[in-house]
Amino acid sequence: MPYKKVIFFVAPLMLLALLLPLSASAQESANCLACHSSMKGRIKAVSGNLIELNIDSEKFQSSVHSSLACTDCHIKFSDNPHTSPNAPVPQAVLAISAKISKKYPIDPVAAAACVQCHDEIYKKVLESVHGKNITQKHQTDGALCLDCHGSPHYIVPISNPAALMGRKHQVETCGKCHGNKALNEKYKMEENVMDSFEESFHGRKLALGHTKVPVCASCHGAHDVKSADDPTSPVFGNNRLQTCGKCHKGANEKFIPAITHKLPGPIPYYTEKALIFLVLGVFTFIISHVLLEAFSDIRDAIFRKGGHK
Amino acid sequence: MSQSSTTTTREIPKEIERFNVTFRIQHIIMFTTFLLLSFTGWGLKYAYAPGGVSSWWIRVWGGPETAGIIHRVAGVTMLLDFVWHVIYLFYLFGTKRMTINLKTTVIPLPKDVFDVIKNYLYFFGLSKEKARYGKYSYAQKFDYWAVFWGMFIIGFSGFALAFPMLVSHIIPQFATAWIWQLLSIMHSDEALLAIVFILFWHFYNEHLKPENFPMSWLWITGKISTDTLKHHHPIEYEMLFPDANKNKD
Repeated sequence: MPYKKVIFFVAPLMLLALLLPLSASAQESANCLACHSSMKGRIKAVSGNLIELNIDSEKFQSSVHSSLACTDCHIKFSDNPHTSPNAPVPQAVLAISAKISKKYPIDPVAAAACVQCHDEIYKKVLESVHGKNITQKHQTDGALCLDCHGSPHYIVPISNPAALMGRKHQVETCGKCHGNKALNEKYKMEENVMDSFEESFHGRKLALGHTKVPVCASCHGAHDVKSADDPTSPVFGNNRLQTCGKCHKGANEKFIPAITHKLPGPIPYYTEKALIFLVLGVFTFIISHVLLEAFSDIRDAIFRKGGHK
Repeated sequence: MSQSSTTTTREIPKEIERFNVTFRIQHIIMFTTFLLLSFTGWGLKYAYAPGGVSSWWIRVWGGPETAGIIHRVAGVTMLLDFVWHVIYLFYLFGTKRMTINLKTTVIPLPKDVFDVIKNYLYFFGLSKEKARYGKYSYAQKFDYWAVFWGMFIIGFSGFALAFPMLVSHIIPQFATAWIWQLLSIMHSDEALLAIVFILFWHFYNEHLKPENFPMSWLWITGKISTDTLKHHHPIEYEMLFPDANKNKD
């Protein structure tokens, strides 16, 4: 009886499924991780791109996305092992994946899948200067979700000090591109962004552990970041009255130019040079005077006892 | 004749008052706030010191926010101390309690330049005589006027940085593009100058010098012994006690 024979196979499997305390998605993730947590290195796709094979299982389990199934984002892969990545993809995801396929030639669907949960934010990003750079200018070196937040497998809450976009690491994360000379030249971006922030009171206090000073997104906006030349940017012209005013009550038109990423103009530059000249001049005088006087006192004490008063 | 004989027989006191209690209080406020400002400001100036040492140092002062409050309160106190000093000087001059005498004034004179040259020659063994001072040596005059310079440069810029909205009203529109950067450069560079100046100049001259070590107690007593006065401020001594030498002879 073929029917009965099937039961023999299915019943223990069903029992097993009931016994396992894992949810369906976790079990499915576990299946994938069975291989991918132990696989090391990268393979070359047909297109010539390298694909990272390894997933750090422990880090993934402590990420915000640990409850998701692999196929929630890797939508095209439905079976296990994934021999035929042709599963149906929702329309919303497909629409975005088409726009970003140049940046993500291997699996644009997975990169677009974020929209399923982060719908509003993803749309904001696509309208931002970062998004348009990819969807309209079709660049591949601009930022999208993963460039700022890191691998989706390991994203931790923003309150976690390890978060790439948290207070502690945000500036260096943005700096991966905005402190990159080649990219700054290519996109004609302000070159002094990182240095000027470091030197500013904001940057210094951040380094000292101040918990309220602004980091990049505090002034420039996050997912909807715009070029500083865009009149709707929070750091454009008098928009700064409101932006600076978030912390500096009563920020006025004479105050808002205080923070800039531009290189110092000639007046501060030459004043600083003059002050350094003055400082060195005074140091030379006082240090030589003190040392010579001490030297002459010792000399007198040894060789000219009572010789003078 | 009898009058002159009474003056010549006037006894030379053991010590005289050099700074009255007002000046002493002003000095104490000045160095207390100076130390607080230096300690808290240093951490901010060298926020990126290796090993996170500045971040630790600022935690010693209660963290960046508390250190910022300490810095502002100390700064305002120091400015008020300075204003008090200037007003007090006006009062002393206005009521003729203090007059300008070339032998006792703290105002820099050509003599001070010659004194510097004379001392350098002495240091190098090219002269057998050290400079002779009035009430204030050039080192002391330098100490005094350095505070004025600091007050105008560091004090004003610090006030502007601490209360930007208030100060912004007196900043002309054309200057807004560079003034803030200029103010922070001025504040930071000149503060370094002030700290190093105090560390080398004031500390050596008033604390480390063998004759002063560990310190001259003048800052608290206000008194200087006539013996010290005779040695270190002979011109003032001769002016105060013109007959002292005569008596001895």
